[in-house]
Amino acid sequence: MARVEVTLRVNGEPVPLAVEPRTLLVHALRDELGLTGTKIGCDTSQCGACTVLVDGRAFKSCTLLAVRLNGAEVTTIEGLADGMCLHAIQEAFAEQHGLQCGFCTPGMILATADLLARDSDPDDEAIRRGLIGNLCRCTGYQGILASVRAAAEASR
Amino acid sequence: MSIAEQPARAAGVRRRRLDAAEKTTGRASYAADAAYRGLLHARPVLSLEAHARILSIDGSAALEVTGVRAVLTADDLGIVGGSGRKAEPLARTEVVFAGQPVALVVADSEAIAEDGAELVFVEYEPLPAVVDLEQAILPGAALARIERSADEADVAMHGEAGAGQDDEGTERVSGNVIDIVSYAEGDTEQTFAECAAVVEGRFRTSWIHQSYLEPQAAVAWPEGDGGVAVRSSTQATFWTRSDLARVYGLPIPKVRVEAATLGGGFGGKFGVIEPLVVGAALALSRPVRLVFTRSEDFVSASPGPGLVIDLKVGARADGTLAALEGRVLADSGAFSDSSPVGFAGGKLGGAYSFQAWSVRTYGVRTNRPGAGAYRAPLATPTAFAIESLVDELARRLDVDPIELRLRNVPAAGDLRVDGIAWQATGLRETLEAVREHPLWQRRDDLPENEGIGLASGLFPGGRMGASAMCRLDSDGGVTVVSGYVDMSGTDTGVAAIAAEIVGVPLDSVRVVSGDTSEAPQAGVSGGSMVTYCLGSAVALAAADAREQILRYAAQQLEVDQADLEIVNGLVRVVGAPQRELSVAAIGSRLTGFGTSYPPVEGHGTAVPPDLAPSAAAALVRVRVDRDTGRVELLDWVAAQDCGRALNPALVEGQMHGGAVQSIGYALYEELVHDEDGQPLNGSFLTYAIPRIDAVPEIQTLIVEVPAPYGPLGAKGIGESAIVPGAAAISNAIRSATGARLHELPMTPDRVWRSLR
Amino acid sequence: MIPAAFEYVRPDSVEQALAELADPDAKAIAGGHSLLPLMKLRLARPSLLVDLDGLDLRGVSVDGDTIRLGALTTYDELLSLDVSVPLPAALRDCANAVGDLQVRNAGTVGGGLAHADPASDFAAGAIAVGATLVLQSPAGTREVAAADFFVGPFTTLLKQQELLVELRVPVRGERSAYVSFDDPASGYPLAGAAVCGDAVGLTGVAAHPLAAPDVLDELGLDDYRRHLVTVAIDRARGAAR
Repeated sequence: MARVEVTLRVNGEPVPLAVEPRTLLVHALRDELGLTGTKIGCDTSQCGACTVLVDGRAFKSCTLLAVRLNGAEVTTIEGLADGMCLHAIQEAFAEQHGLQCGFCTPGMILATADLLARDSDPDDEAIRRGLIGNLCRCTGYQGILASVRAAAEASR
Repeated sequence: MSIAEQPARAAGVRRRRLDAAEKTTGRASYAADAAYRGLLHARPVLSLEAHARILSIDGSAALEVTGVRAVLTADDLGIVGGSGRKAEPLARTEVVFAGQPVALVVADSEAIAEDGAELVFVEYEPLPAVVDLEQAILPGAALARIERSADEADVAMHGEAGAGQDDEGTERVSGNVIDIVSYAEGDTEQTFAECAAVVEGRFRTSWIHQSYLEPQAAVAWPEGDGGVAVRSSTQATFWTRSDLARVYGLPIPKVRVEAATLGGGFGGKFGVIEPLVVGAALALSRPVRLVFTRSEDFVSASPGPGLVIDLKVGARADGTLAALEGRVLADSGAFSDSSPVGFAGGKLGGAYSFQAWSVRTYGVRTNRPGAGAYRAPLATPTAFAIESLVDELARRLDVDPIELRLRNVPAAGDLRVDGIAWQATGLRETLEAVREHPLWQRRDDLPENEGIGLASGLFPGGRMGASAMCRLDSDGGVTVVSGYVDMSGTDTGVAAIAAEIVGVPLDSVRVVSGDTSEAPQAGVSGGSMVTYCLGSAVALAAADAREQILRYAAQQLEVDQADLEIVNGLVRVVGAPQRELSVAAIGSRLTGFGTSYPPVEGHGTAVPPDLAPSAAAALVRVRVDRDTGRVELLDWVAAQDCGRALNPALVEGQMHGGAVQSIGYALYEELVHDEDGQPLNGSFLTYAIPRIDAVPEIQTLIVEVPAPYGPLGAKGIGESAIVPGAAAISNAIRSATGARLHELPMTPDRVWRSLR
Repeated sequence: MIPAAFEYVRPDSVEQALAELADPDAKAIAGGHSLLPLMKLRLARPSLLVDLDGLDLRGVSVDGDTIRLGALTTYDELLSLDVSVPLPAALRDCANAVGDLQVRNAGTVGGGLAHADPASDFAAGAIAVGATLVLQSPAGTREVAAADFFVGPFTTLLKQQELLVELRVPVRGERSAYVSFDDPASGYPLAGAAVCGDAVGLTGVAAHPLAAPDVLDELGLDDYRRHLVTVAIDRARGAAR
């Protein structure tokens, strides 16, 4: 099938792509752009490991077609840190042990970014609600809750 | 004062993981992440039949798709040895579970490989599917596997197996029974007769998938002269290397296994995917990558087995547990390479010792995927059975549940039901910690439909030989080199051991894990063995390095070695701290050009002389919604003896993670097959692992009863953390409603029906 | 995991989109979070995907006693509506019940209704509040009551060359709510009940979302599900505001 040309802005840089219409955003990021921080953890759009920001909001990149995102602003985990200086959410996850194996972590961090952008002081119930779409098998979510609380506090 | 007796400086510190930065920035490289020139992509064709003869495999239509390079079947793989599923990554003539790979399509891209896989047509002659355990063991039952094949069981991996007796002569069973393990001691009939209270029950627990977030993945490529290398999501590089060498008839030096950063394992990533990918790479002489989809991982990996447990327990009037009788049907699935079913019987006695017992476990082959290990294999379902009955005994005898357990804490030397002696453990201290907790104090003062439940668990753990090197670098930093996969943060723990023993700051220790060609010999990451065993080797290697540093410093400072100490990276004369030499300076000098001293390289090999079981207890408050059967978890207290908390944050993380996995066992997770062996669930859409809104806040009580042989007293803790939770929830439901459930998971409809 | 290949168009008017849908193997895509998962499993294999994203079907307005919601309004946009829009509480509850944060950013009210999952949360609410759906085809527009729109599993009254363009919600000042008991894996309701005044919309319990029958036994559910329906209705009534 013929490839379609689209230009995305990924982590602040314009990126021209020529992809098949069926190319999922997660595959475009990982395979075309080598941004493998975004993970694939399931095939039913549940686990959230593929979460990225599109125009500032969290989406599951496994359920987006790259061809539909011409002109969209995509932020992946690679785009959060400022050089070697971790973003406040990354710093909080590192310090509060919001991760063990780390596979869910990029998606979890970006979902947290959307959550905190909407609500800078979420209570536990709001944090849980915000992260229903992100599965973790290692931490039991306790470290994740602590990390989000810490990130919220640091950002205030 | 020995090193271990000195006040801690690096150990016991709560600090972030060594890999926190790379994991929070997306830089960590998992098995599906690295790029390779000329990489081909594979997609498996899975059997739709649970049991069938393969009549033909037609890949011609697939080969016509532009970009499809090959359609591989079993004959293409060049397998010459080995046994079990590892030696049959693609089915030969008989398919034995739905989801078994029968062909592999290899193409220029994953999309094309998937297009091709759809066009591979397999003709089957269906055979009867063996699914029901009770039916499967009866003489004359249809066989789950008609062709004979030698199967090996990896008994050593998950703790010690006792000297079980194969008793096949005493009863007639079908050819589906691959293993009967019996343990017996004393006169159970007589002892039961002496008991003041006897309780029994039949318990069913489900097949359960480890559900690591990272689906299994591997890349293999030809290397050197007829050799092959593979980088995969594995918990055991050296074991995998041995298996691959055996299966493909290659000498060990021609097989190299690298572990990528691991996205969770929990016992499920032992050689499931590598044989298939290596076979493809060798057949095509190209790099080949296979990444399981989540659905493929669900149906064709190695989930934990379902059990049917009949258990009877008796206690004397004074609360002493005296007699136990049990029968376990353990579903082994179609292959028993990694099957832990032999251990079920030994765990039936839980955290206790008895005076008379009789236990028999049947490992039964069925047409489901080959059973694998899932974190503390079989300990959670067996704890569900024994801790439910102990809870009932406490009621019958009118004894406080903690009191009853305290009366039955095994002493060192008391026997488990598999005949192996218990070590001294921290079970008493763990139970006492729970007893002091305010939540336990409130247990009789709760509103209607609320209840508190308690359960304990003792996972025996394991021991294995381990090896490590501790090298002083040119900047004065210390690098620990091992061959172990960091599955759970163990790298951060061993760093603390090295820092503590050598006497350098924690921040100056790095830990690297090498591949099988370069690293010291390593066993598996699992079995609660890494901190305990690798840690012991690291402790010896660190002590060796320290010794070498002191020897050099003594010579340079012209003092006796005995007068020196190393504190925070400085070698100092005790009592005269101005006379010092920094470890950094030593490192620099000993690695420079033209040195006249050898570099400092500590080496340690160890196998702990005995096990160090880590006791755990869970205390849970629930509210049961009688109208819907939904169980709400309101409070959770997890207590565990870790021997010595090298990094309390990591210990808590294991306790949290284990607790939530036990919630999955208890309330949500079951892999279900219909009577034709068809999987009814195989995705996160239909198999529920706990989400963040399903878990309460979990409080942790860390108990420290040092392990006699553990590094700095540390014990392996990863597995006990999961053991007691499901039983605690069940006991809480019993408290809240009076209903005792006997089946896991305790889904809302099952709870609702039990209340009617 | 990767959909079968398809052609892709992105029309910029409803008329153009309808013309593209003349192809019987063409499928419209809005948020894509119902359709794409099916395509990834290759259970749906449209040969042509008609992207509705360029159509002017967004925006929410209050027109007298009717709230008009553009079909491409996302669940997140619905939940972010100003309080001056008198959205019935049931619709707010339904939108909150859909998926998760990420799904609500993408999923649209029109797309969800058109997809007609038998366990669609939002459909129950649309039925209970007496919403009307505006459908547009080359022949013109027609209005259909939500309660009549769903006719079978993933099947509605929509013709191949017809698009749901607007949802009209009457403002009646009635108390309403939605309560559901969900499958813990999928998050979809095993039983969901939306109430608005005396009206009850059910989802997850039949071949399609529907107005509650007078006799719930007609649903033919097992004892547990049958009981859950009653509990959901009772609790929705209790939560109505």
